[in-house]
Parts: sequence; C-alpha cells; structure tokens
Amino acid sequence: MEQKRYKRPKTFRGYSKKSRALYTTQTVLAVLVTLVMLFPLYWMLISSLRPGEVLLGKSASLLPTGFEWRNYLEAWTRVPLWRYIWNTIAVTAISMTIKIVGGVLAAYGFANGRFPGRDILFYVVLGATMVPHQVTFVPMYVICSRLGWVDTYAGLVFPGIVGAHFIFMMRQSFRSVDQSYIDAGRLDGLGVLGTIWYVMVPMCKASLITMSLTTLIGQWNSYFWPKIIVKTDAARVLTVGLIHLRESWTGTEMWAHTNVTMAGAVIGMLPAIVLFFMFQKYMLTGYSKASMK
Amino acid sequence: MAPKKFKWRRTNVKEFLCVVPAVVMVIVTTYYPLVDLVRISFTDWDMLKKDYQYVGLTNWVWFVKNASRNHFFADMKVTLIYTFFTLLISLVLGMLLALLMGRMTRPFGMMRAVIFMPRYVAMSTAGIIFVWMLNTDYGIVNNVLALLGAQRIPWLTQPVTAMISVLVLSAWHSVGYSMMIYLSAMTGIPKDYYEIASLDGASRRVQFFKITVPLLSPTTMFLLVTTFISSMKVYNSIDVLTQGGPYRSTEVIVYLIYRLAFVDYRVDRAAVVATVFFLILLAVTVLTMRWSENKVNYDT
Repeated sequence: MEQKRYKRPKTFRGYSKKSRALYTTQTVLAVLVTLVMLFPLYWMLISSLRPGEVLLGKSASLLPTGFEWRNYLEAWTRVPLWRYIWNTIAVTAISMTIKIVGGVLAAYGFANGRFPGRDILFYVVLGATMVPHQVTFVPMYVICSRLGWVDTYAGLVFPGIVGAHFIFMMRQSFRSVDQSYIDAGRLDGLGVLGTIWYVMVPMCKASLITMSLTTLIGQWNSYFWPKIIVKTDAARVLTVGLIHLRESWTGTEMWAHTNVTMAGAVIGMLPAIVLFFMFQKYMLTGYSKASMK
Repeated sequence: MAPKKFKWRRTNVKEFLCVVPAVVMVIVTTYYPLVDLVRISFTDWDMLKKDYQYVGLTNWVWFVKNASRNHFFADMKVTLIYTFFTLLISLVLGMLLALLMGRMTRPFGMMRAVIFMPRYVAMSTAGIIFVWMLNTDYGIVNNVLALLGAQRIPWLTQPVTAMISVLVLSAWHSVGYSMMIYLSAMTGIPKDYYEIASLDGASRRVQFFKITVPLLSPTTMFLLVTTFISSMKVYNSIDVLTQGGPYRSTEVIVYLIYRLAFVDYRVDRAAVVATVFFLILLAVTVLTMRWSENKVNYDT
C-alpha cells in the first residue's frame, strides 16, 4: 500500500462542523470494530490468568479477575510443551529452508532461464496450486505410511515441500528486475548462483521477506495435515498439541481447566504474532502487491 | 518461427537444473497423489487390510446410487451455504471496513494491523478461544446475554447457531485480509475522480456506488475467486469448533472425505468423493478464470 501520510489536524479549528462530526463518528466506529476484533485474544489472555474457582462462574465481568501465573506452569507440566515447541520449530525450519532454497532457484530458472520447455514446466508447477491438499491427503497419507513417515518430521514436511505459490510470486518479482543488472553481473563473472545471490535476492528483498514470512507463519499454524499424520508426542506440533492439551481432561474437567488450555494457547501463539508485528510493514505491503497482479 | 535447434550452453544447463528440483517434487507431491487417488477409487481397499483388488466401478456405482444417502449432497449443500455467506461477509464487510479504516494516520494504521492480525492466529488456537467464549453454561457470550436478561443460547449444539458460529469464526479470521486488499486498491483510485464528482454535486453515497464500487470490480473479482476456492476447501475452522456436528449440520465435503478415510477406513470410497470434489473445484476454477478474463475491467 502506498504510504501517503497526511498530516493529522492538530486542532479541529478551521474544519466544518460536518467534517468534524464525520471524523469523530468514524474514529469511534473504528475503535469499536478494533475492540471487537481484539476481544477474543484479550479474552484468551484473561482466561489464561483466571483462578480455577472463578473460571466456571456466571460472571459477565470483562475485567481480569486474579492473576494466576500457575496456569502457565501447569500447561508446561501437563503435556510436554517443550517437545511440541521444539517439534514446531524443527518442522518449520526444515520446511522453510527447503521451500525457500528450492523456490528461489526455481523462480530464477523460470523468470530468467533460457531453455526449451521452460514455460511448459512452469505451468506444471503452477498447476499444482489447483490441486489442494484437501483433495490429495488420502493418497498422501498412504504414501507416507508406506515410507514409514507417519508420526515423523519427514511426514510432516513432505506434502508441502514445494511452494508453488511461493515460486509464482518470486518469479513475478524476479521478472521485474531489469535485464541490465543481470548482464552487468554476468560481465563481472557471476554464474547462475552468483547472480541469484548477489543480484536477484538483494533486489527482491521485500517480496522475498514477505513470502518467506507468510510461508513461515503458515507452516507454524498448519493444522490440517499435522492432525492426520501426527500420532504421538514424538512429532506432535503446537497446533495439534494444544487440542491434545485440552482433551487431556474429559467432561466438565475440561472446562474447569480452560485457564491452563488458554495459557498453552498464549504460548503457542506468541511467535507468530511477534513476527507479524515485527515485520508488519512487509506483511501488509506484500498482500497489496498480491492483489494487483 | 523457424525451428532453430536450441544450443545448450553451460548457463542454460545450469538454469534448467535450477527448476528441476521444484518440478520433480511438484510431480511427486501433487500429481502423483492425484493419479493415485483416482487409482484407489477403483480398488476395494479399506486401510485395514494390506492387499486390495481392482473392483472396477463398484465404488463409483456406490457413490452415484447413494449420493443422497451417503451425505454427499447434504455436505455439498453445507459447503455451499458456508461458501456463500463467507463470500458475502468478506466482500461486503471487507469493503465497508476498508472505507471505515481508510484514514492514513498512525492510530488508524495500528487499528488496521489489529484487524488484520487474526489471520496469523492458528485456527486451533482461535477454535479453542471461540469454543470457550461460546460455551453454553460458562461462556462469556452467554454470560453477558444472561445479564441482559436474554436466554442462554446453546451456540455449538444447535444446527443453525453452530453454522453461525463457524461463520463468525471465519469472518474474524479473514475479514482483515479482504479489508487490506480493498484498501490498497482504493488508494489506487485517483483523487480527481471524487473531486470532479463532488463539483458535479454528487453526494458521498453516490460517489461510493458510482466511482468506488465499479473501479474496485477487478479487486472484487480477485477476492471472489480466491475466497470461493478457499471456502470450498474449508476444514480447520469446522474441525476445531463443531467437528461437523451437531447432527452433521456443519459437515463440509472435506470433512466427509476425512471421515470416510480415517473414521470408517473406507479409503476407496473417500477416493471417489475426493475425485468428484476435485473435479468440481477444477471446473469452478477454470470457469471463473474464463469469466473474469471476459469481464470488462474498468481501467484504473
């Protein structure tokens, strides 16, 4: 999005009554909408700190009642949370590395390479975006179980190993790099890998960061495939681990321990949200670019 | 073009090698499973036994004969209802939010980020929060309703309210996305259009319907197609909230495939349903692509 910053009016003097009223109404409405959108996360935080006694009350108070940090400790001991976090980090890191390295290479080949059949091969890759995991998950599970990959990192990573969308977006942005830069690099003796590393990557840094972050957070939050392939703590990632944590109690016990579940949810959510706010600029601009293709 | 023999130079070979891993892996992880899916649909495999035999069209006959009893039609209907309302919410609400949040000031930027943020909250986390908020006896929503003197609503255990809950969760999760897309398209509309219109005496509402909405039509088209496809494949928000219940009232197609394969262990039947589902998705994608190409795009 183009960041055209208008100066905020310091005072309302000089503005007509009508535009003042409009500004006020708009601001009030906007704040209300924001609060509504924020509420579920706020409520998660509040619930995670509630003592067990008030948790199952009929109170309609939206304010925090008590600060029971013990809930976080209990979430940590009830299930092997460290294990889940480690699994999530490992799977995300492996998947990201393969996707980014393979994706950037392929994007370069498709954008700047010269060889027969290039465009046909590109359409082969692009066509994969039309075949969702939700269709192929059954044979994919069968393949993984034949290979002995059920409940392993390999099984978790395997189906999403190529990011067709990633390749498509990176190809778009590589194509926008002027040929003269590439030729200049060539003259200075850069090979294919050198061109990618010293010319393409620096010049397309913004879209590379955006696409990588989107991939990263997507992998961190993925739920559908882990639910199918994960059976035990050995490969249980945070998303399915959280459901596992909640379901380690049954009946009303489950509701009575919602504070502990919420504490787990807060822990699991933090990395993605911290990343989002750290790289907000990239996350937001990337999307607007996606819409303008 | 005259067929000139292509000469493979060293660089060309290297460039070709760049795309090889991606092409090979895409075939292994996408096209091979797709072919395998169709193959499985002609067997009698049920996951419990090691061996299977080819049984021809048996599963397809089962599918066609029982389409009304095996929940395919019912689940297709649920999927389409979900998709319709998700589209309505994300397009209409997204555009309204873009209008509301459009000021280019710092506080508005922060509020936009907050509205966009839920997209990066894992569906399982969001599901846990919503299930808790919507709990009949202890949930905050019902507690507030009770305080206001209303009745407690069993949100997730009544068919209609369960669907509403799923839609609310989906809206919360993704409305920020369509807002951002619309917003960035809106900043691309030249300001003079509005100035000229207001000189001609057009009210703000007229300006919105006569300038903003038509000029956003390519964006709307983009959102329509992408949201349609992603809503048809919905699984996560349903699984974490209602598990397809109550009485299968929120069971979507992907859920049916999952249930057939991993609950009933009828992989063969799941393969039939998945194949049909894929063909539907493919047809819709191809049709909308054709349609959106022919559609008049107001040049911006």
